[in-house]
Amino acid sequence: MTHGYSSDKVSQLLPSWTYAAALASLPLQTHTRLRRLLSDQDPIEAWHAVVTGQYSDPRNPEHVRDAWTHVDRQTPQKMRDACMQHGINVITNHDAAYPVLLRDDPTTPSVLFYKGALSHLAHRRVAIIGTRNATRRGRYFASQLAAQLSVHDVAVVSGLARGIDVAAHTGIRSLETKVGAPPIAVVASGIDVVYPREHNVIWQYVAENGLIVSEAPPGTRPEAHLFPLRNRILAALSEVVVVVESSAAGGSMITVREAAKRGRAVMAVPGAPNDRASVGTNALLRDGCAPVTDVDDVLVALSMDHRNANTFFDDRAAPTNEEATVVNVLGNGAATVDMIALSLGVDVLHVAVCLGRLESKGWVAHERGWWEALR
Amino acid sequence: MYAQIHSATLLGTQGHPIVIEAHIGKGIPGFTIVGLPDESCRESRDRVRAALLSSGLSWPNRKVTINLVGFGERKGGAALDLAIAIALLTAQEMLPQSALDNRAFIGELGLDGTLRHTTGIAPLVMSVASQEVIVAHVDAAEAGVVHPHSLRVGNTLLGVFECLRGEREWPDVPAALEPTSSTPVADLADVRGQEFARSALAVAAAGHHHVLMIGSPGSGKSMLAKRLPGLLPALTQAGALDAALVRSAAGIGVEDLVSTIPPFRAPHHSVSMVAMVGGGTAQMRPGEISLASGGVLFLDEMGEFAPSVLDALRQPLEDGVIRLSRARGAVTMPARFILVGASNPCPCGESNPQLCTCTPSMVHRYARRFSGPLLDRFDIRIVMQRPAADALIDGTPGESTAVVAARVARARSIAIARQGCSNADIAPETLDHVAPLSDDARRHLHEALGRGVLSGRGYHRVRRVARTIADLHDAPDVVPLAHVIAALQMRCDVLSRPVML
Repeated sequence: MTHGYSSDKVSQLLPSWTYAAALASLPLQTHTRLRRLLSDQDPIEAWHAVVTGQYSDPRNPEHVRDAWTHVDRQTPQKMRDACMQHGINVITNHDAAYPVLLRDDPTTPSVLFYKGALSHLAHRRVAIIGTRNATRRGRYFASQLAAQLSVHDVAVVSGLARGIDVAAHTGIRSLETKVGAPPIAVVASGIDVVYPREHNVIWQYVAENGLIVSEAPPGTRPEAHLFPLRNRILAALSEVVVVVESSAAGGSMITVREAAKRGRAVMAVPGAPNDRASVGTNALLRDGCAPVTDVDDVLVALSMDHRNANTFFDDRAAPTNEEATVVNVLGNGAATVDMIALSLGVDVLHVAVCLGRLESKGWVAHERGWWEALR
Repeated sequence: MYAQIHSATLLGTQGHPIVIEAHIGKGIPGFTIVGLPDESCRESRDRVRAALLSSGLSWPNRKVTINLVGFGERKGGAALDLAIAIALLTAQEMLPQSALDNRAFIGELGLDGTLRHTTGIAPLVMSVASQEVIVAHVDAAEAGVVHPHSLRVGNTLLGVFECLRGEREWPDVPAALEPTSSTPVADLADVRGQEFARSALAVAAAGHHHVLMIGSPGSGKSMLAKRLPGLLPALTQAGALDAALVRSAAGIGVEDLVSTIPPFRAPHHSVSMVAMVGGGTAQMRPGEISLASGGVLFLDEMGEFAPSVLDALRQPLEDGVIRLSRARGAVTMPARFILVGASNPCPCGESNPQLCTCTPSMVHRYARRFSGPLLDRFDIRIVMQRPAADALIDGTPGESTAVVAARVARARSIAIARQGCSNADIAPETLDHVAPLSDDARRHLHEALGRGVLSGRGYHRVRRVARTIADLHDAPDVVPLAHVIAALQMRCDVLSRPVML
């Protein structure tokens, strides 16, 4: 083999983790196939076996084995470059530093990519999850709950998806100078592939101040099938899973099932009976989940001292009596300016002015002209 | 064997006087038009020949040259047929050259010698209005609106020829079209509920602000838009004439040619760029924006318009005119209108976010159809919801058009007296002078800027709308906080960008 592949030669140049990353990025790779691949050999041996065609697991279908023998042999180098460029770390479940929470998991990810410090997993951890199509009120609740948990030194785990997920981490970020527990995120795409793109600021914030974990190697697109797999890691990393808003069959329900399999407590935030965004959470409550109405409930579930939980007080300026009547009308659900004016029987411009004042005080917010009270 | 005659040619919404020279000489029989004629102008040879022969007049079987003189651009249209035919008759010495002095001839010929309707007769006649103008009988009413020095009509080429020879009296000229104000504009009182949208519409009419209405199907967006012309002050005589010239140049609407009701144009969303802004190969016709000048341009289902068509509106929205440059020349046409856009909030059409079944990415994709710079031009952006059933059935009818229009007229005259233009046109540097803010209003706006809910450009626009709201309410010199807040509410972020919190 004069021009052949020499594992000895290259292994002197590349560390073991680059091979682990390369194996994770094999075409048609799944966490099961990867686990089998790395169960009884180290990444360098496994890579060598794969590219030379010596590795043939009869449980892998023919087309997978075929695809693997035609893989780009430069992948370890490329993975090294990509990880170093984006500051992504790689760890395998044989490393001592691999999170214990995941090592004992029945579907443990053999190779994990992360940015930030794994030591943050030593905090108490609560997942805040929910629908991407969340209401203004749901997002506000998620952000407040996350901020308060963070102040109580509980790390908030979330998926950085649209809606509830990103609201939770945005809540922590809005604490600014107040010191809190670090944010933890589990994402489905490669850590360098920010999805959705508009979350790039919060994505970076989490990476710099907490921990982002992904099973997918750098460059992986956010394919739909990756999200349920991400949810199992999210559930495994959390002690309690709080569902803020969810439809009856949303992705949050997958996380709930994964949490139940692993014996993690699931809690749900109650919503109005007819509220589209609360169908799933209300069903969870009916099935016996504990309700969450404020941070106390979560702290009790964590068996933490909740006696000083109310240190987080509302610093918004109180609404005037007149403004309070508008807020009360919004207690019945989202409404437009016209609807508020009709139910109060006052001039519509007057209501608009009240809403403007309340908005700048932080009591109400609107989406596409529909106003909701933030309480 | 030579004659010269006056006529006019149309470019955009303007007529341009030209002189036509005809020469009949020795040589191989033929017919040449020189002097930058366009295709339809070259075709006039066949029409003129047939018309002359059908009328029993002679066609010179010799070398004929027609020269179009003056107006350096390419000349087009069939409007020169009559003038060419009369010039040929004069060059054949069947008419004295003196019969053509101080006369201009505008009209298209049929093959049988009848005089046909000519598109753009009003601007054409206007360009030669100091002379005696001879037009087709059918065009007399339209030509009369520009009040030429003297107007003569003819039904046929032969008739005009005989009148010019003095063998026959000129026919009576039909009366010019009188300004009408009778076109019924629907009354605002018909719109039940939608108080906020109605007050926003009054603000738009008073300050000449562009309006974007986002709402579910059936929430009354089109209904409201159609009532906006009724809130605007009636066109002045000059304004009505301007509108008539554009309509004439576009070749539409003889019945309502001169109307003091501000125009209302609602092109379908499949409209092409040329149909929207004007242009085209033949004559540079005015587009929808020029037809809407002085009134309202309503774009229903705005998200369905081609993005290039929408973005082409940005320059006219700023300048109030559209400048088109083509190989054959540049044209400036009026385009000062109130733009009213209407759109559904998202693909499912349900504006209430709690009932909307669209995913955030669907909503996001839908919102992206509107370019940021165009959205920015809308001073007023409101959300509308289907009115509640009780508001529809026994809600008290709102104020009628007459009541609101009176308030609008008052506010407009206050604005004109103060700064000489409508509030939407206040220059940013004079805002502090004509629309000073109260202290608390200034603080509120600065806070809104700080929170990022308002952009720098939005800041000026909100101040202009606040000025208009103040003008509608007793017109205090200093714009109070309440009116600034109301203006901010009328500029709501109707097509939500992704919000994280």
